[in-house]
Amino acid sequence: MTSTTPRRTAWSLILLGATALGLSLSSAANAADPIKIGVIAEAQAIAGASIPQAAQMAADEINAKGGVDGRQIQIVAYDNHSSSADSVRAFQRAVNEDKVNAVITSYISEVVLALEPWASRLKTLMITPGAASNEITRAIHENYDKNKYTFHGYLTSAALAQSVCDAAKDLLVDGKKMKTAVIMSEDAAWTKPLDIGYQECLPKIGLKVLDHIRFSPDTTDFTPIFNKIESSKPDVIITGISHVGVQPTVQWKNQQVPIPMFGISSQATNSTFGKDTNNAADGVLYQGVSGPGVAVTPKSVPFAENFKKKFGNYPSYAGYTSYDEVYMIADAAKRAGSTDSDKLVAAMEKTDWEGTIGRVQFYGKEDKFTHGIKYGKGLITGLILQWQDGQQVAVWPKDVAKAQLKFPSFIKFSSAN
Amino acid sequence: MTNFFKSPLFGISLILVIIAATLPWYVSGYILGLLTVAYYFGVFAMSWDLLFGFAGEVNFGPTFLIGTGAYTAGILNNHYGLPMYPCIALGAVAAVIAGFVLALPALRVRGPYFGLTTLVAVLILQSFIVVFADLTGGEIGLTIPDVLSIDAGVNYWIALGFMVVSAAILFGLSQSPVGLVLQASGQDPVQAGALGFNIVKHKLAAFIVSAFFSGLSGALLVFYFGTASVGTVVDIAVGVQVIVAAVLGGRRTVLGAALGAIFLIVAGEFLRPTGELATFIVSAVALVVILFFPGGFLGSVLSREARS
Amino acid sequence: MLALQILIDGFAISALYALGATGFTLIFGVSGVLNLSHGAIMVAAAVAAWAAASVFQLDSYSGALVGVAIAALLSLLTYFVVVQPIQRSNKIPNEEKEIFVLTATLLWGIMIQEAIAYFFTNNAKTVLPIIEGVVKIAGIRTPANTLFTAAVCCLVIALLWVLVNRTRTGKVVLAASMNPRGVTILGFELTNVYIVVWIIYGVLAGIAGVLLGMFLGVSSYSVGPLTASAFSIVVLGGLGSVSGSLIAAFVVGYLETFTAYMISPAYRSIPALLLLVIVMYIRPQGLLGRR
Repeated sequence: MTSTTPRRTAWSLILLGATALGLSLSSAANAADPIKIGVIAEAQAIAGASIPQAAQMAADEINAKGGVDGRQIQIVAYDNHSSSADSVRAFQRAVNEDKVNAVITSYISEVVLALEPWASRLKTLMITPGAASNEITRAIHENYDKNKYTFHGYLTSAALAQSVCDAAKDLLVDGKKMKTAVIMSEDAAWTKPLDIGYQECLPKIGLKVLDHIRFSPDTTDFTPIFNKIESSKPDVIITGISHVGVQPTVQWKNQQVPIPMFGISSQATNSTFGKDTNNAADGVLYQGVSGPGVAVTPKSVPFAENFKKKFGNYPSYAGYTSYDEVYMIADAAKRAGSTDSDKLVAAMEKTDWEGTIGRVQFYGKEDKFTHGIKYGKGLITGLILQWQDGQQVAVWPKDVAKAQLKFPSFIKFSSAN
Repeated sequence: MTNFFKSPLFGISLILVIIAATLPWYVSGYILGLLTVAYYFGVFAMSWDLLFGFAGEVNFGPTFLIGTGAYTAGILNNHYGLPMYPCIALGAVAAVIAGFVLALPALRVRGPYFGLTTLVAVLILQSFIVVFADLTGGEIGLTIPDVLSIDAGVNYWIALGFMVVSAAILFGLSQSPVGLVLQASGQDPVQAGALGFNIVKHKLAAFIVSAFFSGLSGALLVFYFGTASVGTVVDIAVGVQVIVAAVLGGRRTVLGAALGAIFLIVAGEFLRPTGELATFIVSAVALVVILFFPGGFLGSVLSREARS
Repeated sequence: MLALQILIDGFAISALYALGATGFTLIFGVSGVLNLSHGAIMVAAAVAAWAAASVFQLDSYSGALVGVAIAALLSLLTYFVVVQPIQRSNKIPNEEKEIFVLTATLLWGIMIQEAIAYFFTNNAKTVLPIIEGVVKIAGIRTPANTLFTAAVCCLVIALLWVLVNRTRTGKVVLAASMNPRGVTILGFELTNVYIVVWIIYGVLAGIAGVLLGMFLGVSSYSVGPLTASAFSIVVLGGLGSVSGSLIAAFVVGYLETFTAYMISPAYRSIPALLLLVIVMYIRPQGLLGRR
């Protein structure tokens, strides 16, 4: 369960020892100096724990092949305890003390938004493997020269909403003749634009939005929420949840809420979700960018299997992106021929990288979502997976789908109304 | 008071401050950043100690005062574009008002009941921040456009200077006749009242002073981090850290509270390589100190001195 | 329809609160200790029950028993490692023991919480329900396990009442809460009384934790809110008054449920907090407090 491998602990101890003695590490770059990537993530959360692990895997692979022009990739990991303040401190430490060349950070939008100004102030390339808020790219678009150091290495909330709607059209509207939906989202930075996206695109695909419920991420009793949803009799619940997941899913099953759940449910992407919920997850449909056994690209399955071999469980969604991001940073450093921040940013903008989640390109300065990853066919479209008999199974799009939709017996389809 | 200038404690403090002031010339920016946060926490802990150690009021919600100051300053800067220094000043004023509100029940109830009221105050503040998310940024936190400085050394000196001035004022107050009256009324309010001291007035003053420094420090911390969030300045866990720092450093010593805060923050950071276990270890160490050395760091030193 | 829904849903959560708060107030009544590691012990019980069932493949009854046993063990540890040393310490002045116990149990709770997060991550866990399925009560679909939870809570509280009022051990405990010195004069070892009370407390907290794990699910994040809610219920009811705590638990439980249904789930806890503040101003000793 622990993410800190003994080797890395030893490294940190040495670094710490050096600091304590007040020795300053040479910052002058030469060919043999490693390229250092700081990884600031939530070691105690399953989604976050995969981030440093996957990054280390990518670095080991690159190093085994000789590194980048002879320079090794070195990962320096920091646990931020899911806190913005700890993240800011870790970021300052990473840049000022450990002299990292780039930072991969966090799946929580709140943390990334707190760090974004620091990436600008300290002029260091920063990329997030899992945060979704549109605010991240909006700041870059509105003040490019200042905020260009931040990259959004995961789908923005707007793109996530689009991905859910595209899939809902095929699976629910065409497949199950559904007509109505209720949006159920937690109150957080990333769900505001997500909900706006849902409200725009759901009616377009033929799902009427009957109600829109936002609840505090501290909620533990979901009975009143499900009750309210049921009273408006929708065909489907469209979800936007990340901080919560286990509790609403278990209560959905225990109370036998007869309406399927479909949408973003970040915790459902974890392979341990089935066990955490005592298989209450069966029937839950969730959006993902990758999943075990799903060959989105030729790199997806080998990565997931190697990860499992090494750490005992499949990576979370942020593990896939974190793995790709190390490769993208290495690729950018190679093309830039330097780890100078401005040159690295310029090279990063020209990224065209086939990773584990699809083909990654970034939107440009003039686009609305500057430095966000491009959404669309041939690039990244996302997947829909379903928990079936304790397993995660891809059900959309057709070319990677492994099974038909399958629901527990308490789900009732009322396609008549 | 005059005794203090002659005591070895004064000399030691002076030497420590001088050493601390020269740190930016020979230690790294990272250690400076760490100490910067520790100094602001030191002020939180000293303010808390003034209330607990002297007024005898167990305030479980130091973050009610800290958070009010921090968020007021942050919101004024973020939403209304007020310049930084007026924001910090208004943050301190808001905290004083909050301290006044908090003092009202304290003057009516005692012991665990007052402790609970202060705890509830924090929970209510937290709920309001989440509910009025448009203004406060909610769970997301508030991004602050301005920062004190991006230079680690400058930030460090600001924090050090602020802590030293606060420590001088708070310690001075605790040793003054006012402090003695407070201590008397904290230990035996009936007798202190019988001696003709206005306990209510003295306690109210203690609350206001404590709130002023908590709020000011909270506002400064926000402009150091460039972000204000529940997890940084309001959460009960932050309050717990402040209380533990003060008890660890030695109750009723004021200066010990600052030492305790510096120890907690620095220890937490040095244990970072232990990853998720860092908090566990720090809590365990603090527990051992509380169980076996209840006087705290400075408490044991001072009592030895008093005996000799 | 909605009224009945609120009645059923509110009853289950209130009964759980009552069970959690009863042990908490019992400890205070007998030994004057406010145990701030309460939430951590509850969560530990639930996580242990989850781990026993999911990791070690035990059935749900044995899993629940493991959870309760772990809670009783932790409760005893809390007494021997944290509380007793402070009570016996001659370095801590008597009037300050309260703050020391509060701070120390709080730290102890954090240690338990961090240990849980370290071994089982901070993701929420749910205990496998003992009874599956739903029953319809006048058209309201209610999980059978919710009814089971409410029934167990009532039963345990009734048993506690019998234990305290009708057995010899219970009478000694009751006597100790009124006059500790008197009990020692009668030849009872006070430490033994305390051990009994802490075991009772641990079992109560354990049952409450396991049931909560089945009913709603818990994570290491639940530690703080659980302690705070037990604390507020106990103060609202009057420190040391078991019947006061029971009434307060139902007041808070129904107030929260009503708010969640009629206003918004987001404002769930606010009215109860405001009520608490109002009670503190008007009647600081709580609803049924002594003094």
